[in-house]
Amino acid sequence: MGKYVIKRLLLLIPILLGITFLSFAMMRLAGSDAVLQQAESSGVALSQEVVDARREELGLDQPFLIQYGNWLKGFLTGDLGTSYVSGNDVFATFVSKLPATLLLTALSVALTVVISIPLGILAAVRQNRVTDYLIRGCSFIGNSLPNFFVALLLMYLLSIRFHIFPVISDGISLESAALPALTLAIAMSAKYLRQIRATVLEELSRDYVTGARARGVKFSVTLWRSVLKSCLSTILTLLALSVGSLLGGTAIVESIFMWDGVGKMAVDAMNMRDYPVIQAYVVWMAVIYVTINLITDISYRFLDPRIRLGSDRT
Amino acid sequence: MIKKNKARIAIFMILCLLALSLAGCGGQGGQEGTDVRSEGEQASVKRFVFGDTTFNAENGEADINPHRDSGGWACIRYGVGETLFRFSDSMEIEPWLAESYENTDELTWVITLRDDVYFTSGRHMDAEAVKECLEHLVENHERAAGDLHIAEITAEGQQLTIRTETAVPALMNYLADPYGCVIDMEAGITEEGIVQGTGPYQAVSLETDTRLELVKNENYWNGEPKIDEITVRTISDGDTLTMALQSGEIDAAYGMPYASYPLFENDQYTLSSCATSRVFFGTMNFESEITKDPAVRKAIAMGIDKDSFVETLLGGNGYPAAGVFPDSFSFGGDAVTAETYDPEGAKQVLEEAGWTDTDGDGIREKDGRTLTLRWLTYPSRQELPLLAEAAQATLGEIGFDVVINNTADHSTIRADVSAWDIYVSAFVTAPTGDPEYFFTYCCLDSSVRNAGHYHSDQLEELAREMSQTFDTERRGELAVEMQQTMLDDNAYVFCSHLRMSIISKSSVTGLTAHPCDYYEITADLDIS
Repeated sequence: MGKYVIKRLLLLIPILLGITFLSFAMMRLAGSDAVLQQAESSGVALSQEVVDARREELGLDQPFLIQYGNWLKGFLTGDLGTSYVSGNDVFATFVSKLPATLLLTALSVALTVVISIPLGILAAVRQNRVTDYLIRGCSFIGNSLPNFFVALLLMYLLSIRFHIFPVISDGISLESAALPALTLAIAMSAKYLRQIRATVLEELSRDYVTGARARGVKFSVTLWRSVLKSCLSTILTLLALSVGSLLGGTAIVESIFMWDGVGKMAVDAMNMRDYPVIQAYVVWMAVIYVTINLITDISYRFLDPRIRLGSDRT
Repeated sequence: MIKKNKARIAIFMILCLLALSLAGCGGQGGQEGTDVRSEGEQASVKRFVFGDTTFNAENGEADINPHRDSGGWACIRYGVGETLFRFSDSMEIEPWLAESYENTDELTWVITLRDDVYFTSGRHMDAEAVKECLEHLVENHERAAGDLHIAEITAEGQQLTIRTETAVPALMNYLADPYGCVIDMEAGITEEGIVQGTGPYQAVSLETDTRLELVKNENYWNGEPKIDEITVRTISDGDTLTMALQSGEIDAAYGMPYASYPLFENDQYTLSSCATSRVFFGTMNFESEITKDPAVRKAIAMGIDKDSFVETLLGGNGYPAAGVFPDSFSFGGDAVTAETYDPEGAKQVLEEAGWTDTDGDGIREKDGRTLTLRWLTYPSRQELPLLAEAAQATLGEIGFDVVINNTADHSTIRADVSAWDIYVSAFVTAPTGDPEYFFTYCCLDSSVRNAGHYHSDQLEELAREMSQTFDTERRGELAVEMQQTMLDDNAYVFCSHLRMSIISKSSVTGLTAHPCDYYEITADLDIS
């Protein structure tokens, strides 16, 4: 197990090198740069001398490989650089955005679990009955609605009509996080409850369930003690994927609710060609995906001892 | 029966869990954070919350430091900083922190400062303080250094003498630019980018892209500010801004999407708007085989229906443009004459120039070349893609095949003159109230934004004269002549000026839109 974990963590090195190089190259291919973007946004003209001086100051006049090399050198020594746009330290900026993203992730996942698992199981147990059709119908609607629309709908209902939650977040608080979390949870629950329903149905059709029923074991006992346990690995995979993507931030929802997380920061950075911030985001994404996948793989082992990890197979 | 009950219990439990989760997060739908003051104290404090889509690092306003990027805009807009001179409603220069000025020779300006002004740090604003500020400005702000050409500043009591390296007739206008906000350099600039100015409000905390907190300047020199605490909230999404004003979380909003305006056209809200010098205009490419033809340029100018664009697509939130400047300027609006929408006339012009539709496909040709117009624009301003589509329709009726390239990478493409025929952009033409800026940056041989390589001997000559002319009236006349020269050549087509609006609750007074777009929060602002 230990060797497996170390091997997986070592894999992070080529992944980080590859992904940071690719993102650096792709941003260059997208054209323009931070100096031009900022001048365009402000709507006033800058003389060529000013543009050249600013580019030189930021190192944007250097060839691509040298720019990447400089960034990599800084990264390896723990310096993520300074934002081209705000002039603030990238690491400090990034760390300041993380609590908001972590809170939103935790809350969204918790709400998703609360909504999707019970409803998914209920739909499976009540297969092809009114409850099932109703839940599937809601899931269909939830899947069809884009995030921004759900966000605006919730704002209208819960903020303007009933004054329960604020429209714009006021710092990192549960009150401010409620609407963005609910927006994300609705979309995720709509997707996951169908998958949970399918998994539970598949499990319910297995022989051991029929056998248990024939032996007179209560259905609720079979459901809670055997069926759900077998479904856990699927549910865990779904949640792991969600946590991964949520920790990367949800730019649209964050922007709509003025939730100051890493997703909004990343999109703003991309628009402004703020390379140091984009690179920090890319590193973060690579690290969380590798880590979450690793944790998920390890947890499979505990949930189902039949599963072997890496060298355990031999 | 038991099964049914179980299902009911399950549904009930789910609903309870959901309700508990939300209730745990919920609370009063209020706007304020934790406040340790007593209820009585809180009730006596007058608060104002302002939502703004433009207060962000993307616009160069990461903070309110006027010596960095466009920080001066935030500094002056939110009532923290003031400049030596300001613009009147008719965009004329008038003293503000200065009392008067004198131009002793072409290079020397003597400015007398008011004696009753104090920074929010408590320091008296004298000539030495202004000198320190201006010196720091030109050291740190490339655009300001390029505009002001300051060679030397001397300070004596309340008298400030500025010597410039070259003649800068518009120096007083440049000093009215937001970067010219006078700040106390002894108090310095904090890490957050907070400065101490002379305005009616003092900044106490700032979070980039999130909020700015202001408190009343108790020692303000020009009247007593009426609000105790102001919060400026960055709200980048237009729909969110709309709902925040509807829900009452903010008291006023800047940057509202046009589509939301009808929601606020009632007694509960006040809408203050005026034309700004931000113009949406097309630059013809004189290196292009298509647009180097004067007939084609004229047909384009005659083929864009500016009135319909403004009325229909912008919902009346703009002003059809004739020339570079809106009619709030003495040298703008109807001071010049431009081609008007005349599709039949445009067809005639093209016919006479030999552009005819020989194959009946609706697109004109000449010498084997089709009349394809490559329209380069960008999406970051909501008006530009709309303008492209409107022009595509009306020019299509005349016989143009308009191919739109609406891209964020327009700066790179614009530099390649073989890649486009007309470049349509938004530009603030008179940020300093003086006309020279636009011509210097956009239309001359030496202009950094003369992307279409337009050249006019007459325009160059007039520009030379303007650069040496100190008389404001004559500068206005020159501005009109220069605009007319460009319009006669159809080198540019000016479509619309932006109408800038501030929407506030009807209980808010003293918050009005200004043509220069600089002055928003002032000592007059009040809320009942």
